[in-house]
Amino acid sequence: MSLIETTDLYKTYTIGDVSVHALQGVSVSIERGEFVAVMGPSGSGKSTFMNILGCLDKPTSGKYILDGIDVTATELSKLAGVRNRKIGFVFQGFNLISRTTALENVELPMVYNHTPAKERKEKALEALKAVGLEQRAYHMPNQLSGGQQQRVAIARSLVCDAPIIFADEPTGNLDTKMSIEVMELFTRLNKEMGKTIILITHEPDIAEYAGRLITFRDGKKVSDEVKK
Amino acid sequence: MIDTFLSVLRISLKAIMANKMRAALTSLGIVIGVAAVITMLAVGSGTQQNMNDRFSRFGTNTLYLRQPWNLDESITSPKDITMDDVRAVRNVDGVVAAAPYISSDFSVKYGITSTSIDVLATDTDIFKVYDWQFESGRPFTEREVDTYAQVAVLGATVAETIFNDIDPLGKTVIFDDIPFTVIGIIKKSGQGGWGFDMDEGTLIPYTTGKVKMNTGWSSQDRRALDRVIIRVKDINTIENTKEAISNAVRNTHRIHPLGEDDFQLDDMASWIEEAKAASKTMSILLGIIGAVSLLVGGIGVMNIMLVSVTERTREIGIRMAIGATSADIRLQFLAEAVTLSCIGGIIGVLIGVGISLFIEAHATNIPAQLNIFSIFVSFGFSAATGIFFGYYPAYKASKLTPIDALRYE
Repeated sequence: MSLIETTDLYKTYTIGDVSVHALQGVSVSIERGEFVAVMGPSGSGKSTFMNILGCLDKPTSGKYILDGIDVTATELSKLAGVRNRKIGFVFQGFNLISRTTALENVELPMVYNHTPAKERKEKALEALKAVGLEQRAYHMPNQLSGGQQQRVAIARSLVCDAPIIFADEPTGNLDTKMSIEVMELFTRLNKEMGKTIILITHEPDIAEYAGRLITFRDGKKVSDEVKK
Repeated sequence: MIDTFLSVLRISLKAIMANKMRAALTSLGIVIGVAAVITMLAVGSGTQQNMNDRFSRFGTNTLYLRQPWNLDESITSPKDITMDDVRAVRNVDGVVAAAPYISSDFSVKYGITSTSIDVLATDTDIFKVYDWQFESGRPFTEREVDTYAQVAVLGATVAETIFNDIDPLGKTVIFDDIPFTVIGIIKKSGQGGWGFDMDEGTLIPYTTGKVKMNTGWSSQDRRALDRVIIRVKDINTIENTKEAISNAVRNTHRIHPLGEDDFQLDDMASWIEEAKAASKTMSILLGIIGAVSLLVGGIGVMNIMLVSVTERTREIGIRMAIGATSADIRLQFLAEAVTLSCIGGIIGVLIGVGISLFIEAHATNIPAQLNIFSIFVSFGFSAATGIFFGYYPAYKASKLTPIDALRYE
């Protein structure tokens, strides 16, 4: 069974009298250990698709099974736990909590699943080590470079042993050198730790790191190709 | 559980410390409220204690018979209170003693020392009404009263002022050009309550006072007394005794059975009740003032928490994305509001206790008595304020959806 299985997803936003059909029947299946890039112009529905895959939003119709859990049948309020256990998020704007050390940021997902403090610290340090930032554990986000902040965010996505990492334009705010660093880290996590990585980007050279490319246009999947 | 509590507390403190100035100004409302409640309740209970002390010296088993201050329209000429009344009252069942009472300020001279003191002209029953202890000498006798003897019993402070180190017994002092022999000194008793303070006063036979020093009294009539001080046997039957006294006085005043009293009988116990009720009302009023400032402080907390929720919408989104439930978010903001108001509460308690203790120690004219109960109540109120006014902002935060919150710029 696939890790991610969506069938005929529709999402319609109604703003006043205007209905926006953001997704119009998207069916995708992603296997464990895949590295998938999702591309498409803005307004193509890729962000809506990612929000639904990330359990941040629910489709208007269609079915979504994540690691055996029927997400479409689960209440939105119960999805917090699903996100916590199954998904790690990495955002364009890093989204670290300011005035909080790197270590505490990494510990945060474990605070919400009530991991004991000692275990939390051990795991967080381990995750920081995996991204090569164990020396910066007690730095605040504003004392770190953009690339370092993004690596802290990646460590945070690893810490609950979630099988999937969603990365939404992870290199959008980084220069080329840092972008390469971050993308190499993703590749390593995919190869060495077997993480399933789903990456949204609009830069073709970033999408190159992925093993599979899905393209969106006008709320529909227009291409889905596996490299080599 | 403790672990969760500690991490919630840590997150709250961190968020509060991030905006120190704002947090300080916000909790200032709570600080002032709590400090006000504690100080005001301390002053309130101090006043009450002070009143109780005065009353206990005064004796609750005494009654005052006097002409009314506010005359009923139907009474055109109230009869004076006289010795006839005193004698009638003495015959009433349940009355231990009844003493005539006329007082005025007189200048007193001994050698070259001259001062003004409160002179009380009375008779031997006054020593049965009040349980005064003699420092030296003796009270005047019935015979001395009957024979217009020029004798005086001095209060301790008066004796000190006039005689300094000399033994006053047997010495002659001059009141209003009339010489009196000092026959006794009464021990110091402290503050004497309302009306007459024995420490500062002097007792003389009323006969001597009325006949030989017939100036300076409030009534020029030789028979008129200011009032009669009555001591009753049993406080529990004071109402019956009062009625019996009333009837006796109506009789001597020849009041028609349907006529109104032309005198007034004040009962210390009922005065005390009235005074206590008044001081209780004052305490409640002061408490309300404090509660209002707590309320205003609470609104400040709510306001700042709403601002905080808006400012940190994105942070809420991040927390939700990585697994915080609505309940987690609600708890976090509620904890922050409660922490904020409890910090205010603690500082308020410290300031309130400080002010109360300072007043207790240094301000002799304002009585204050720190009330432990008020500390708990006002601190409890500040925590409750945090919960009450923090709930809505916390609820608002918890209702955000993760995508809306994450998109918020």
